[in-house]
Amino acid sequence: MTVTTRHLPVDSTAFFEALAERMNADPERYRPLGFCDLDLGVVIHRPSSEDFRALVRFADYGCLGVEAFPEGAEDRASCWLEGDLGTWEEMVADIRANGRATARRTLASLVLLGDRIGLRGDDSMGVDRFFRYAATIQQFIDGAADSVSVPA
Amino acid sequence: MRAKPSSKGLTMADIAVGTYGAVPDHPPRRTMAPRGADIDADVPDMGYLINDKSHVWAENVYELYEEAVARQWSATRDIPWGEVAPLPEELERAVCQICTLLSEVEMIATDLPAKWLWRINHDLLEAKMFLATQVMDEARHTEVFRKRALVNGGGLLYSRKGTEELLRTILQARTFAQASALMHLLGEGFVLDLFRQGELIAPTEVEKRIFRLTMQDEARHVAYGTLHLRYAIEHDPDLAEEIHEALDHGEQMLVAFGTQTDTTEALAVLLAGGVDKVEEVGFPMLAQLQAKVLTSYLARCERAGLNRVQRTKLPVEELGIDRDVRVA
Repeated sequence: MTVTTRHLPVDSTAFFEALAERMNADPERYRPLGFCDLDLGVVIHRPSSEDFRALVRFADYGCLGVEAFPEGAEDRASCWLEGDLGTWEEMVADIRANGRATARRTLASLVLLGDRIGLRGDDSMGVDRFFRYAATIQQFIDGAADSVSVPA
Repeated sequence: MRAKPSSKGLTMADIAVGTYGAVPDHPPRRTMAPRGADIDADVPDMGYLINDKSHVWAENVYELYEEAVARQWSATRDIPWGEVAPLPEELERAVCQICTLLSEVEMIATDLPAKWLWRINHDLLEAKMFLATQVMDEARHTEVFRKRALVNGGGLLYSRKGTEELLRTILQARTFAQASALMHLLGEGFVLDLFRQGELIAPTEVEKRIFRLTMQDEARHVAYGTLHLRYAIEHDPDLAEEIHEALDHGEQMLVAFGTQTDTTEALAVLLAGGVDKVEEVGFPMLAQLQAKVLTSYLARCERAGLNRVQRTKLPVEELGIDRDVRVA
């Protein structure tokens, strides 16, 4: 019997939950990077339907979970990443192709330009928190290389 | 009384229990005796000069100390030096010019806290401990940029007078508040944004990793400075003017530093991916990023309790920033 897999769509709670599961299953990969206490919002603009929104909650060396991040609840996040679906998909495709984000598709690169994925926050301290934990966050997203698929 | 470990282990916040955790606003002695111990009445005076909590404290100092310790890294072990590869000459020179500058300026953030550390009252030890982590962080930054300059044949390039004048301004600050404003807010704030650009301009995974790791450290230092200055100003509002004056002078020195073309040209070359499109792509992108850098700096000042938008000497209009629009 042949089992095929398909990738979870990036604009889904299941995608971020799978990343969280991978992080929590491998604490020794994250421990050397140091702990990470951050509530990171994710807002993905879909071309023809409402935005995907989620709050990814990091604590210590793992991920506490993925929660709803409704509009108007931005104060629950330290900061949030906001961009169009195409850019998110492009970033994840690069990770799957190369095993990690490369060139100008790392999160820090994308948010620096800010034209396709922006880093937003109501408080400069919350925004700077993203940079304090950049290595952990990138490693978390790079988990998409091999973990985020389900049987077709 | 018994301190209990939390999920991270046994943190400094976990042991801040009862009177052990009570940090006095005005420490009663100037000794190295541990806060909370039974101390002889006739212990010698160590001559500390910073004896007020508000002169060095920040609300996030426990968190930042633990974070600093947990996120230490090694410039020898944690950079994939084996992935260094030959680069086109103009890119290697640009990388090496940036590394030359950074190996020069990063050491100021070792020297400056070290200069003040021995003057800080031992009852304020959590703040001293955080500053000690900064001393080590910045030594490692000097190390990693020096290593990168030397690992691929480019070597160390230009060091200019304007850079040294800016560093001298920071090093010679009269008070710790002025020193912290010049170093944490102005100097490290701008370097943090340079590190953020670093991940974008990095030609290979080697530079990308270097900038990602140094960026984390720098963001921590800026977070300390921002909330330290806020704490200091909240407890002594008159301090704000003293800090503004230091920043007035520091910003002028930064503008003079910015007229040195070695670094800006190197950044533009890296942003353009080479010299061919440096005018068409590199410099316009650099101008766009400089506006973001300035906006971030003004937002941090605001968070620290210092409204610099109307007062700043930096070229806000040239970079298209409206002084009447709130920075965030």
